[in-house]
Amino acid sequence: MELLTAIAIGILFAIGIFQMLRRNVIRSAIGLIILSNAINLFLLSAGDFQGILPAYVDTAQELRSDALPQALVLTAIVISMGGISFVLSILYVISSRYKTSDLDEIQGLKN
Amino acid sequence: MNSEQIVLLPVLIPLAGASIILFLRSWKQWQARSAFVIMLLSLASSVWLFYRVWLTGEPVVFQLGGWIAPVGISLVGDYLSALMVFMSQLVLFTGVTYALGAKDKNIQYPTFYPLFLTLGVGLTGALLSGDLFNLFVFAELLVISGTILTAISDDRFGAEAAFKYFYISLLASAFLLLAIGSLYISYGTLNMADLAQRIQLNPGQPLLYIAIALLTATFMVKSAVFPFHFWQPDFHTAAPTAVSAMLSSIVVKLGVYGFLRMTTLLFVDQSEQLQLLLVILGVIGVIFGGLSAIGTHNAKRMLAYSTLAQVGFILIGIGWGTPLSIAAALVFTFNHSLIKAAMLMLAGSVASRTKVKSAAFDVVTGVGRYMPFAGVLFFIGSLALAGIPPTNGFINKYLIFDSGIDLDAFLVLILLALGGILTLIYTMRAFQKIWWVPPSKGDSIKANGDRLIAPTLLIILVITLGLWAQPLIHISQVTSIWLQDPFNYIQAVLGSIIAQGF
Repeated sequence: MELLTAIAIGILFAIGIFQMLRRNVIRSAIGLIILSNAINLFLLSAGDFQGILPAYVDTAQELRSDALPQALVLTAIVISMGGISFVLSILYVISSRYKTSDLDEIQGLKN
Repeated sequence: MNSEQIVLLPVLIPLAGASIILFLRSWKQWQARSAFVIMLLSLASSVWLFYRVWLTGEPVVFQLGGWIAPVGISLVGDYLSALMVFMSQLVLFTGVTYALGAKDKNIQYPTFYPLFLTLGVGLTGALLSGDLFNLFVFAELLVISGTILTAISDDRFGAEAAFKYFYISLLASAFLLLAIGSLYISYGTLNMADLAQRIQLNPGQPLLYIAIALLTATFMVKSAVFPFHFWQPDFHTAAPTAVSAMLSSIVVKLGVYGFLRMTTLLFVDQSEQLQLLLVILGVIGVIFGGLSAIGTHNAKRMLAYSTLAQVGFILIGIGWGTPLSIAAALVFTFNHSLIKAAMLMLAGSVASRTKVKSAAFDVVTGVGRYMPFAGVLFFIGSLALAGIPPTNGFINKYLIFDSGIDLDAFLVLILLALGGILTLIYTMRAFQKIWWVPPSKGDSIKANGDRLIAPTLLIILVITLGLWAQPLIHISQVTSIWLQDPFNYIQAVLGSIIAQGF
C-alpha cells in the first residue's frame, strides 16, 4: 500500500512538473492543479495514514490514522483552490489581452 | 484581557479592519481614512508588543485557543519577531500614508485598502507564527494579496507580472509544503520550538536534509536571492508605487527572517553548509544586483535590482553567523526597509508627474526640475543606499565591514566594497537623469503628483537613525546574543506549559 502510494505520488509529480513547463498556458495551469494534488497526497501519507481507518475511533482499538495531516491537507486544499482560481482568472485576462495561449508570445515585460 | 494576548493585536487589528472596511466600499474617502486609522492602531499595538518584550526582557508567547504548545498553534513575539513586526508595521503605515496621497487609478479600486491590510496581516502573522504550517498559511495570504494588488496596477503589464510571480510563488509554497511534510514524517511535530528540540536530539533522519534544502529554496524565492530572483524586478516594477514600496522593502525580509530562524533555531547543528551557501549567494547577489541595476532603463526597476544587492549584504551577515554579524544583518534589515521604501516612493512620485506614469528614464528625464524637494529626499536616499555617513546606510555598511574584519574575510569585503561603489554609480546616475538633465519636452508634466509626506517621514527616520544609531545597534546586539542560544526560544515557547502545571 505504501509503495503504491509513493509510486502514484511520484508519477503525479512528474506529470505535474512536465505539464507546468509546457508553453500552453492552459496546460501549465492544469499542471499546477496536478502538482498541488500530488503535494496534498504526500501530506496525507505523511501522517501514518491507515487506509480506510478514520482519524478518531471510540473503540478500544489502538489503530487509527493521525488526524493532523488531514487537517493540514484540508487547509492546503482550500488555499490551492483559491490560488488556482486566481491563476485561471488572470489567465483569462492575459489570453484575452494578448490573443494567444502561447507563453512565449506573452513577453510585454521583456522590453 | 490576558496580557499575552497583545501578540495577537498586530495580526487581528488589520484582519478585522480589512473585513470591516470592505463594507465601506461605496464611501471611498471613509474607506481610505479608516484604513489609515486601522494601520495606525496596528502600528501602536506592534510598538506596545515591542516595548513589552523589551521591558520584561522575555518573549510574549500566546497559545491560540488555550491548546498547549506542541499541540496547538503558538504565536511568539520574541526579540527578533517583535523587531521585525515593528519594522513591517512602520513601513506599512507609511505605505498607507502614501496611498492616501497617490493619484493612481487602482487606489480607487474598492478592495485596494482591504488587500493592503491583508498584506500586512500575512507578513505580521508569518513573522509571529511559532508553527511552520501557520507560517505557510500566512505566507500564502501575503502572496495572494500582493499578487492581486499588482494585477490591478495602472501599469499595463501588471497582470503579466502578477501571473509570472504567482506561478513561481505557488511553486515555492509547494516546496514549503513538501518541507513541512518531510519534517512531520521525521519528527511528528510542526511547532518550531518542539521541532528544534527534536532535531537536536535525533539529527539522523534521512528526510531532514531534504527538508532543509526545500526550506532554503522556499525562502530564497521569497526574498529573491540570486538564482531565484528573476521574477522580482518585473514584479516590483509593475506594482503600484505604494505596493511596490512594501514588496521591495519588507516583504522580501520574510525570507531573511526564515534564514535567521533556520540558522539560529531549527537547524543549528546542520547550518554550516547553509551559511556558506548564504555567503556565496550573497556576494554574487551584491555584484550581480549592482551590475544589473546599472544596466536598467527604469528607476523603479533599478531599485528592484538594488534590493537584490542589499539583501545580499544581509545574507552575508547571516551566513557569517557570529553575534556581531547577525546584529549587523538585523540593523541592515531594519534600515534597508526604510531606505528602499522611501526611494521607491520617490521614484513613484516622480513617475506620477508624467503623462504615461512610467518611471522609465527616457520618460522621467528632467521631471525633477519641477519637484526640487523630492530631489533633496532622493539625494539623501541615494547616499543612504550607497552608505555615505550622515545616513543610516553608513551604519549598515560599517557594521557589516566591522564583523567581516573580525573574521578576516577580506576577499568578501573587497567584493562588497565593489558592490557599494556600484550602488553609488547607479543611484547617482538616476539622480542625474531625473534632476540635472533639462527636460526634453516640458509640456508633458502634470501639475500634481503623489504627495511626498510618506517618503519625507521615511527620510527623516533615515537621517535620525544615521545620527542616533546607538539604540538600534544595542537592540540588534541584544537580539543577536539572545538568538545564539536556541534554548532561549524553546524555553519561551514550551516552558510556559511547565509553569502552568500541565
